[in-house]
Amino acid sequence: MTQSETKSVDQTAGPQSLMKVSDLTIAYPMEEGEIFRALKKLSIDIAPGQIVGIVGESGAGKSTIGKASLGLLDDNAIIETGSVTLDGAVISGLLEEGYDAIRGKKIGYIYQNPMTALNPVLTIGEQLIEAIEANTEKRGDDARDYAISLLEKAEVPYAEDRLSKYPHQLSGGLCQRIVFAIAISAKPDLIIADEPTTALDVTVQKAVLETLRSLAKQDNIAIILITHDMSVVANMCDYVYVLRYGELVEHGPTRQILTEPKEDYSRELMASIPRIDHYVERFAVPGLGNVKDRTRALAYLMEHKTDQTIPKGEPLLKVRNISKTFVSEAGIFTSASPFKALDDVSFDVYSGETLGIVGESGSGKSTIGRIILGLHESDPGHEILYKGRNIAELTSRKDRLAHCMSLQCIFQDPYSSLNPRMSAGNNITYALQSNGLLSGSAARELAGDLLELVGLSRSDASKMPHAFSGGERQRIGIARALSFRPDFIFCDEPTSALDVTVQAELLNLLKDLQDELGLTMLFVSHDLAVVRQMCDRVLVMKSGKVMEAGPCAEVLTTPKDDYTKSLLDAMPRIVFE
Amino acid sequence: MLSFILRRLGQSSVLVLIMSVLVFAGMYVVSDPVAVLAGDDFTEEDRQALARELGVDKPLITQYLVFLSNIAKGDFGVSFVYNRPVLDLILERLPATLEVAVLAISMGLILGIPMGIYSGLNREKKATKSISFLTTVGYSIPNFWQALLLILLCSVWLKILPASGRGDTTDLFGIPVSFLNWDGFSHMLLPAVNLAIYKICMQTRLSRSGTQEVMYQDYMTFARAKGISKMRRIRRHLLRNILLPIVTITGLELGGLIAFSTVTETVFSWPGIGKLLLDSIHHADRPVVVAYLIGITLMFVTINFVVDVLYALLDPRIRYK
Amino acid sequence: MSKQDPTRLEKIWKAFRGHPIAIAGLIGITFFLLVAFFAPLLAPQNPYDQTQLDILDGLLPPMSQLGTGQTSWLGTDALGRDILSAVMYGLRISLFVSFVAVIVGSGLGVFLGLLAAMKRGWVETVIMRSVDLKMSFPGILLALMLLAMFGTGVDKVIYALIIGAWASKARLVRSVALSEMKKEYIDAARLAGIGNLRIMLRFLLPNSISPVLVVLPMAISGAITAEATLSFLGVGVPITEPSLGLLIANGNDYLLSGKWWISIFPGLVLVAMVLCINVVADRIRDHANPYLRGKE
Repeated sequence: MTQSETKSVDQTAGPQSLMKVSDLTIAYPMEEGEIFRALKKLSIDIAPGQIVGIVGESGAGKSTIGKASLGLLDDNAIIETGSVTLDGAVISGLLEEGYDAIRGKKIGYIYQNPMTALNPVLTIGEQLIEAIEANTEKRGDDARDYAISLLEKAEVPYAEDRLSKYPHQLSGGLCQRIVFAIAISAKPDLIIADEPTTALDVTVQKAVLETLRSLAKQDNIAIILITHDMSVVANMCDYVYVLRYGELVEHGPTRQILTEPKEDYSRELMASIPRIDHYVERFAVPGLGNVKDRTRALAYLMEHKTDQTIPKGEPLLKVRNISKTFVSEAGIFTSASPFKALDDVSFDVYSGETLGIVGESGSGKSTIGRIILGLHESDPGHEILYKGRNIAELTSRKDRLAHCMSLQCIFQDPYSSLNPRMSAGNNITYALQSNGLLSGSAARELAGDLLELVGLSRSDASKMPHAFSGGERQRIGIARALSFRPDFIFCDEPTSALDVTVQAELLNLLKDLQDELGLTMLFVSHDLAVVRQMCDRVLVMKSGKVMEAGPCAEVLTTPKDDYTKSLLDAMPRIVFE
Repeated sequence: MLSFILRRLGQSSVLVLIMSVLVFAGMYVVSDPVAVLAGDDFTEEDRQALARELGVDKPLITQYLVFLSNIAKGDFGVSFVYNRPVLDLILERLPATLEVAVLAISMGLILGIPMGIYSGLNREKKATKSISFLTTVGYSIPNFWQALLLILLCSVWLKILPASGRGDTTDLFGIPVSFLNWDGFSHMLLPAVNLAIYKICMQTRLSRSGTQEVMYQDYMTFARAKGISKMRRIRRHLLRNILLPIVTITGLELGGLIAFSTVTETVFSWPGIGKLLLDSIHHADRPVVVAYLIGITLMFVTINFVVDVLYALLDPRIRYK
Repeated sequence: MSKQDPTRLEKIWKAFRGHPIAIAGLIGITFFLLVAFFAPLLAPQNPYDQTQLDILDGLLPPMSQLGTGQTSWLGTDALGRDILSAVMYGLRISLFVSFVAVIVGSGLGVFLGLLAAMKRGWVETVIMRSVDLKMSFPGILLALMLLAMFGTGVDKVIYALIIGAWASKARLVRSVALSEMKKEYIDAARLAGIGNLRIMLRFLLPNSISPVLVVLPMAISGAITAEATLSFLGVGVPITEPSLGLLIANGNDYLLSGKWWISIFPGLVLVAMVLCINVVADRIRDHANPYLRGKE
């Protein structure tokens, strides 16, 4: 509950202040009497009409601010110190009825994922009109007309038709616009937007944010924009607060924070952001691997590193005419329909290089890798040559196993790529043991060596996967892939689930390993800037087709294809005029 | 939609066909009807004559086809015990079973859904914990023993409700039913309550877990954040989402209820199809058992089909895919 | 025993701590299991031994003196059998039948579910359509049918209950295993050249079994009830090996004449045991439910 002294109008809040978070500490009691503090003594100030960014990585406590302002905290949350005030009145820690006059009326809320924020069994109209009727005087036809005008304002095409649609019939971007319409329906003073574009495709993010900004400007609505994405901040916000582990690191005008950060963490955060216009050898983040003894693992990995029998100038991997058709299962109201995920794709990968594949979701970029690895069958009529041999002709178990081990993968989702019921060490070496290639003690030794190689410690081998963070799990995944002494590694969006500083560390590690081991990589990503930092050459894919291919520096700076151009245009950038 | 219906019809026919083979195999092949029917004084000639009369001297496949074509004609044969066409026997008793089942289901829905939603919304309240414990007790008491308790309590000790039989009936559209007069209704109460206790517990749990699940969905929080009142959130956002699984399970459980009525009807001597089945099993009255099983199969297939279509129609995510 | 990795026992204890009813259930289960196991040592008489029975002791109410001078705490049935002893032996049979049936049936179901998820194609079709076939009938009806066809007996009841138990577990495991199959650690195992059987046992099984373990207690109590029901209806265990259900059925005829103890005591034990298992089952299920655990 709020302390009594903050109940009165806060004298320090100037006339400029719309909402003030002062000294806010929010605690969650954990098991065994421990207490987790999501926010620690946090103070934030928002002026009317101002767009304020709150940035931070996971665990920073960003979302807690929004929830505390609207009384949406979990039941077990405790406000230990401080308060949130709106127009001088305390709005944190009220009883449920106290929020009737605030939610939807004074503060609108925008959820991260519009597809889950909208009720799947109610129509758009029902959900929009009920908000209008709850928060304004409009009823019946008036409310309906107003709903249509709101949708039009939020740039939803065919607004009237959309009222009778259900959320799953519309795209994510449209659903988010509908959420915007709901949020502004009562012309609130403030909108709290929690990662409003994170769940959307890159190409629509920009336009959706643009709409949000123009809606706010029209009605002079202030916005608290909670995000992990610096480019969103750069494009939207007047003022920024940087948070870490629930504490305020630094705050100031956007430009100042982004160009001249004062605190170490903010600097690290900025340095971790991959830039499309600027190539760096390594990201300027503290390394982890240098203190470890990596020599034994490197020696193991270099041993038997046969000089490939590929003639000079010949590619390590030669992919010709792969296509892939998926057939969707028939539903109750639909019949089975084929869908072409890949359409006649050919490319080469040379030894020691990194080939990037970029494209939006659904472009087929991951499917390519899965076919090369043999996890998917390709449609007939293709040819994949690895080290000069057609992989379809590998029939003996020994050949197949050797081939398997030579091509490995680093997966996208660190939370599902390790067997949760096996220790980290077993995850790394179980396969070598079960195939009889390694004895138990040698396996333990190797697991320890590899863990140190990727910047973890030997003793981590006995821990179960859930004890590790996402970045650490990804490192374990890398160690597992390396245990087979592969020549070729398929990286399937290996950092897309990670925080930006963790991504920088991991990308540095991959670059180190490539330098040390001469690995060949196929690097799939939706993030052009990451590809720019990692790859020598790049393929741009759309709907299963290669749109453009060439050296990275060339394609990503002077694109020839229109689609590449549009991708580059849509890309969020941190640029100040 | 049409292709879905056709596909389901196809699947259903296959299911019915498989069941008919299983029932045929179980009833006609495993047990030898001649051995069951033949008296001790039968000679070998008598046995062969009986076999011919029953048609069991022919090859199995022929027997099966005859069996199938008879069923298709609605001819399930004549009961050994009652010496009447089986179909008449079953149709005559069906209303008694159905009226108890409908009463029990209604009690389950009317009491169970509100209790479930209440306990889903108020997890920490005392009433919730009592409801939760009571449903566990209700779940744990075997149906037949609960029936005995009800008889002991209401009929033997308190003497307020009759323990067996159907009582007076009133004709409704030519079908005799019990629920329209007090004597009949009083006979119906104990069997219905006996079936309903389990139903109430089940509906309560189902609505409770549904409520708990839906309450944690983003759209419920978002509805709260956009200023929708609690009553409205429950009535629109919550109820519409939890009714979907309830419709499904209630439909599917209708079948279970009719099956479970074997126990209840036996204890209360309620003259429905459940008691008929059990009596027929005890008296080896094969045609009745066969007809019951085939009938039940058809009923289940129909219910499953209707529930699927209903679910699809109720859930816009499937309807507009 | 480090802080991050509590042992299995600690995890189980965590689920029960602060839930007195569930703990009482655990104690009750232990008690019934012990009684059932040691029934021959604990029971005042051997209810199967005709020589120990005296028809003159028939239908005595609770707390009566028997011909042998012993007190019959819970009364006797028409044959002069001591109800307390009969209940102890009946418990043995009920528990044996249901445990064996559920464990075998669930094991079969888990295996078929995993197989369906791994093999897909026609193997999956055959398994899952059989599951549908089985699941479209209420268990008790199916068991009645099977027993009507194949006759009665302890073994037959176990078969009938196995047939009742496998399908729901197969469906459950398959749905979990299918979503596990989509996870990347399975792909990683394939890429490492690990064989199908190993993937099934070391990767898929440990990650798909939890939901089955959660419903297992419920399945056991359900099987106990089902066995009792079948025996009550006269199609279950034979009269020579009376389970609780059969004991209740024997007393049924005397109920209306006021001799309630013959049916009521076995019934009370039956309910008490099923209730103990169910409160434990509830606790386990609630503990496993992410929506109830909140932010742990």
